[in-house]
Amino acid sequence: MTLQDFLQAGLDIPASQSTPAVHADFAHGVMTLRGDSYPENSFDFFGPVLDWVEQFIASEERPLRLDISIVYMNTSSVKAMMDLFDLLDAAFQKGKEVSVSWFFDPRNERVIEMVEEFKEDCTFPFNIVPEVGNG
Amino acid sequence: MASPLDVNDEAYIAEIHALLEHDAPETDWKRVTENLLVAYQKQQQRLDKLLRISDGFGDLTHAENLSLTEQYRKQLKRLQKIARISDLYQRTMVELNESLKQAALHDPLTGLPNRRYMIERLREQSALEQRKNSGFALLMLDVDHFKGINDRFGHDAGDRVLTSVAHTIQQCLREYDVCARWGGEEFLVLLPNMGLTEAQLVAQRVLDSVRNINMANVMGSSAFRIKALTLSAGVAEHSAKEHYEETIKRADQALYEAKEQGRDRSASHTY
Repeated sequence: MTLQDFLQAGLDIPASQSTPAVHADFAHGVMTLRGDSYPENSFDFFGPVLDWVEQFIASEERPLRLDISIVYMNTSSVKAMMDLFDLLDAAFQKGKEVSVSWFFDPRNERVIEMVEEFKEDCTFPFNIVPEVGNG
Repeated sequence: MASPLDVNDEAYIAEIHALLEHDAPETDWKRVTENLLVAYQKQQQRLDKLLRISDGFGDLTHAENLSLTEQYRKQLKRLQKIARISDLYQRTMVELNESLKQAALHDPLTGLPNRRYMIERLREQSALEQRKNSGFALLMLDVDHFKGINDRFGHDAGDRVLTSVAHTIQQCLREYDVCARWGGEEFLVLLPNMGLTEAQLVAQRVLDSVRNINMANVMGSSAFRIKALTLSAGVAEHSAKEHYEETIKRADQALYEAKEQGRDRSASHTY
């Protein structure tokens, strides 16, 4: 499979007990992450996610949006998420259109604290959106 | 450019990054980042020393030193941030578990401990009694004509009545007494270190307080149609010889007698 095939095929990983659902939609330029994230090996899990995003940014001029609804993350997932945001930020600095929307359940206000920390070093558009039913 | 990092520190730092990939639940990230800070500081001292000794003619130029320092600082900040965010997540998990536990042991309407909680408390109390030779008493309380209230004024009104009664009962109790929601309109009160006579006084106090509840506050405009709110109470003192379940039965029996005798009163059932 060429990198372009990989990109166009997208990703469709169903959620598991310890990993979020991942859906990469090439046609619309949207990647969705939804669920809890505490994989035993985050390198194995997030590898394809980061690869796909990196490849999209490298070969497409269209905007890329990340829709995230993750409730709980273990430490290595936090690192992976930061790696992901670093990727996006570097692309944004070079003029690519990237953005993140993080959805959270308004009944769980604590989540805002974590997400604000993630957002702090990002220069690209980062929306924190309340949406009931997101954990 | 050869790395000026001491080979031990370099190995340590690599270990941390490997740890990050394979996050183990028992990793103490606070300690890890603290140790890392020390490792970086040692590196920094080594670099400064190198520079002083060699005065720019050594392995590193001043600019290279600055750039390395900057790298370390960035890496460290990043790791500290990861640890910080992770810590926040851990804390919310703990709080979530706590609140789930609380929810499992509390009645959502009144906020009172529920039946499950009360049974655990009674077990503890019995065990305590055996060790410390102290007793306890139980009050079984029931809202009079509650079904009628629900039927005539609706369940919302019924809920408000229960919440108000729960609150009123609690105000009559000591800090270590426990009032649990035992059934639909039933409350069970545990009075540690109390004998029958005193328990009967508490029952009277509770009944008086409930009688004095301002129904307009509870019911709003339909208050004028409700005469008064009353409870019936059954009192029983635990005997060391019996299982607490027996005491509950006796309190229940006493409650039944109070109802039979006309309601809005308390009765007791001695062992």
